Amino acid sequence: MFKKILIANRGEIALRVIHACKEMGIKTVAVHSTADANSLHVRFADQSVCIGPPKSADSYLNVPSIISAAEITDTEAIHPGYGFLAENASFAEICNSTGMRFIGPSPESIKLMGDKAKARETAQKAGVPVLPGSNGVVTEESSAIEIARELGFPVIVKAAAGGGGKGMRVVMEEAGFANAFVMAQAEALAAFGNADVYIEKYILQPRHIEIQLIADEKGNTVYLGERECSIQRRHQKLVEEAPSVIVDGGLRRQMGEMAVAIARSVRYRNAGTVEFLMDENGKFYFMEMNTRIQVEHPVTEMVTGIDLVKEQIRVAAGLPLSMTQDQIRVKGHSIECRINAEDPEKFTPSPGTITAFNPPGGLGVRVETAAYTQYVIPPYYDSMIAKLIVHADTRDEAIMRMQRSLDEFIIEGVKTTIPMHKKILSDPDFQKGDISTKFMERYGNPVK
Amino acid sequence: MNLKELKELIEMLRNTDISELEIERSGFKVRIRKGGDVTFPPSMPRMEYPPAAIIAPAVPAAPATAAENAVEPSRTNQIRVTSPIVGTFYRSSSPDKPSYVEVSDVVIKGQVLCIIEAMKLMNEIESESSGKIVQVLMENGQPVEYGQPLFVIEPA
Repeated sequence: MFKKILIANRGEIALRVIHACKEMGIKTVAVHSTADANSLHVRFADQSVCIGPPKSADSYLNVPSIISAAEITDTEAIHPGYGFLAENASFAEICNSTGMRFIGPSPESIKLMGDKAKARETAQKAGVPVLPGSNGVVTEESSAIEIARELGFPVIVKAAAGGGGKGMRVVMEEAGFANAFVMAQAEALAAFGNADVYIEKYILQPRHIEIQLIADEKGNTVYLGERECSIQRRHQKLVEEAPSVIVDGGLRRQMGEMAVAIARSVRYRNAGTVEFLMDENGKFYFMEMNTRIQVEHPVTEMVTGIDLVKEQIRVAAGLPLSMTQDQIRVKGHSIECRINAEDPEKFTPSPGTITAFNPPGGLGVRVETAAYTQYVIPPYYDSMIAKLIVHADTRDEAIMRMQRSLDEFIIEGVKTTIPMHKKILSDPDFQKGDISTKFMERYGNPVK
Repeated sequence: MNLKELKELIEMLRNTDISELEIERSGFKVRIRKGGDVTFPPSMPRMEYPPAAIIAPAVPAAPATAAENAVEPSRTNQIRVTSPIVGTFYRSSSPDKPSYVEVSDVVIKGQVLCIIEAMKLMNEIESESSGKIVQVLMENGQPVEYGQPLFVIEPA
């Protein structure tokens, strides 16, 4: 087992990894920018190294600085958390080649799944359904319309070089296709300097269902159930839950086994998440695979009773998984709300000093945070203040527990998204489980 | 830590502007806080600064070194040269060569003051000002972090 781990991250996830390390008797090294000198993750680590000035590019994304910090502290392994360098294949490569174990999958897996087209191909080869679409770029309108007819409307025309919701056009019926196709190409050229577009089947009310998996060095790969992350605004998740109301035992096994098949086919190691889109008829399609621990991993931990970060560390140290597939059970229901320092209506960031901080407690309530009274939220990084997670026997009880906890969560001095979460949790459709990725549109946040 | 060491620590703290010091060694932890009243008026929120920011990190140095290194330049026009990178501090280009600079040496802008080794690369750290070396704050072979004070220079 490792004697010392460096956490190449900040905020609540850095603290999360420090928790796991401390409980395993592993010494911890925190790295921080000058802006984070008074952070909790710095305070609670055994050692800390300042790696640069506030900007991420000069600190948390500064590979030489982080590797140097690992060298001067005799670090044995590096946990990248999520975001920053977590899915940076060359960072993983550099870690491993300088004798520091990267706690995550291999650089090859990261590279492969980071390429959306290759990831799709991998899923298809593993026998997993992918969202039907043109196989590659379509340049001629005449072939485009043929493909669209074959897929069946509605379809979406997407920029190949695009992302973040830009360069996309939804076409509901054939009459509007020609115009939309030309417009999408023009938009793609303007936004990305590249007019290449491809076509995909468009799902009207999709649900975002993802499968958590983990694999050890011997190739033992298990799935730990699903998470539903349909409550999103501009592709940013707000509320996540496990299990999903529309996934029963049979579907869970089916999707889980498909996720495992994808992982096995590329000899995937450590933790990962396979994301699916599900249509109104319960048909699901592979979207992408995330080769890291995710923000919302706690809801899976609450329903399965398994500490995912500890498993990541164990696996990286060469130990076998703590459990077999049949030992994994999903018990009760868990919901997570991401509480950000943002205006609850406009979602604009609201950095500043937290003057009062009182997190909720009680049975089945878990708060993951690096905030405290008098903490100054720096403007350089994400606006997350805390993750509020609840667990209860049923979904209805989990909702009540979350509402009670949101009421008791006092954060003053900055604006927070708690009022928005209260609205979501008391929404009748949410309570019925009648949700999709379009849910947040009712609160004036249109998703393109 | 015995009573004698503890007394020495307290005495040493008296002469610095460190207000709170926390030390943890295997099985032993002490926090020393300077100042009069122990109670705080309920209306005032307590400001707690994590001790890790005060003590030079990553260095298994004796507390004495840490306290000395935290001394602020005594004159306001003195300049502290801080490390621009993370690495290991060396006073000369190789073990058998003399140090680049010693206390009371006069240096000019652009002159190499030391080497910081990072990822097997030797980085020469140049002075941003001309003047006299008043203090050398780090020892040969010590690890340094970004912003770590290395030298105090009195500008010409």
